[in-house]
Amino acid sequence: MKTRRRRTSRKTTGLLPISFLLLVLLPLLLMPLGAIYIFAARGGLGHFIRTFSQSDAQFALRFSLLIAFATSLVNGVLGTFAAYVLAKYRFPGREALSVVVNLPVAIPTVVVGTSLLLLWGPLGLLGQFLDPMGVQPMFAPFGVFLAHLFVTFPYMLGAVKPVLDELEATYEEAAYTIGASRWQAFRFVILPTLRGGLFSGTLLTFAHSLGEFGATVMVSGNLRLRTQTAPLYIFAQFEAGNIETANAVAAVLATLSFALFFVLLRFTQRRSQRVA
Amino acid sequence: MNWRLLFERLSFLTIVAGLALYALWPWIPGTRAIPTRTLVVYGFSILGEVMSEGIFPAFQSEWEMRRGESLQFISSFAGSGTVTNQMILGVPAEVGVLSLELDALRLVKAGVLRGPTWRQLPYAGVLNRTPFIILVRPGNPKGIHGFSDLARPGIGVVHPDPLTSGGANWAIVAEYGAASRHSPDPAQAGYQLLLGIWRNVVAQAASARAARTQFENGFGDALITYEQEAIRDLARGRLRAEIVYPRSTIFSEHTLVVVDKNIAIEQRELVEAFVAFLWSDPAQSIFVKFGYRSMNETLNESNLLFGHIQDPFLIRDFGDWPQAKREIVDAIWKNRVLQEIGQ
Repeated sequence: MKTRRRRTSRKTTGLLPISFLLLVLLPLLLMPLGAIYIFAARGGLGHFIRTFSQSDAQFALRFSLLIAFATSLVNGVLGTFAAYVLAKYRFPGREALSVVVNLPVAIPTVVVGTSLLLLWGPLGLLGQFLDPMGVQPMFAPFGVFLAHLFVTFPYMLGAVKPVLDELEATYEEAAYTIGASRWQAFRFVILPTLRGGLFSGTLLTFAHSLGEFGATVMVSGNLRLRTQTAPLYIFAQFEAGNIETANAVAAVLATLSFALFFVLLRFTQRRSQRVA
Repeated sequence: MNWRLLFERLSFLTIVAGLALYALWPWIPGTRAIPTRTLVVYGFSILGEVMSEGIFPAFQSEWEMRRGESLQFISSFAGSGTVTNQMILGVPAEVGVLSLELDALRLVKAGVLRGPTWRQLPYAGVLNRTPFIILVRPGNPKGIHGFSDLARPGIGVVHPDPLTSGGANWAIVAEYGAASRHSPDPAQAGYQLLLGIWRNVVAQAASARAARTQFENGFGDALITYEQEAIRDLARGRLRAEIVYPRSTIFSEHTLVVVDKNIAIEQRELVEAFVAFLWSDPAQSIFVKFGYRSMNETLNESNLLFGHIQDPFLIRDFGDWPQAKREIVDAIWKNRVLQEIGQ
């Protein structure tokens, strides 16, 4: 009885703030997203097909997906390893290192792109020695990959490290007492507890890589059919006045992101239910 | 066994696998013929359309007929200044088309080009040209008939940004020239007009193409741009604006550069064939069809939409680009007009 009354009273007093929130969110978030789909649909299905029959649109989408897959794979391993080392070992400079690995969240992505150019570009600190050898990581697919690794590094780390921090060292030690090797302890004791973190970390990395713009625009050289990712394609087409074409790709990208987010949401919900 | 969970997992995996398959498709052996040759071309903003839709396909079929090799163009189009900066930073451009010779000279200074190599090309490297005009809203509600009208109070002007756009530099010289050419005090007259116009600038875009997109999206009453931009839409019946031809305006001349240091020995012949093709009558006719004026005047007669300009002028009338940049863009626009407006 008591609980029910509390629940109903919560509902009625909540009406005002809820409607206010919706009123704020409508023009801020919901309407712009709706506009993408409305504009994309305006040209009809024909326009969609026309856009995606162009090889540069197809390429941009494929290239973005490939980079996102590769980035999630490499940062999945690298991020987990970084989290493991940072959570497990105590060494001088550990605090500083944990700040550094999380820096990409705080640095503007355009600055990340610039810094990569200043290091690896043909005029850069290291690039000037590589260039005569014919090695040019920037303005090539590999440069885009490097930028995405940099920008999305903290997401895997952020998803995995809290789990490792909470993990009781005793389980791992118990494994050692029964003769497990370091790898076996990691594989059979630590990894299973990390599954959730790995999953959500990978999805976050994938989603961020798919939408990355600032760093990519600097390091890619924006070459159609070679380094132009889907967000760069959208921007270029929009600037050129081909709004419907830009929107068709934007709608696909937005749909993919929604799907990713939905999966992530369901997954975390299920986990919290299980924990409860 | 939890069937629902299994189903969810399976469908998730299927989607991931499907996405991966889609992404990898062109690289899976046997799914398509991989082009045997590539050519990397960077160009200034408005060139994107004529190159992608006209020139590239025409040369692709010619090359295929001549050599039996399929050819793929890797291209990028942005403001002329942006393209130049990218080339200085080292993008792998083999051929570049810049809006103005000044950008080509910057490439020489940065060591990208050995020297003014484009001057050995036909017409000293000028690929095509187009006069600068004013676009106004349908019906010309503000009664704009020339550059001087843009300085009237209450007119909103959309102008590309001279920092990154070649077109913006042309536009500044066009505005200056229109006022100063027949004035007893050229520098003062030019300054006055530039000041008046720039007081009215409501939006600045990174490239001429982007400026037009802004204008189309409803910004301002007038846009100063290449005639080609407007002609192209006029030809397709898509122009939702009116062209105003100033009595006196500049013809922009677009410079082609061949970046020797980015061209491998085996690419040489292909690049040379492409460059020669660009000045051939078929290619120049494509430019004319897309609204550019060819250096070969007889070809220009085929486009009936080209307007008449009473008193056209060229950058040559101000010496050359370095001089115009120094004396007009920097000394008058940047150091005086912008300062005055900033206060």
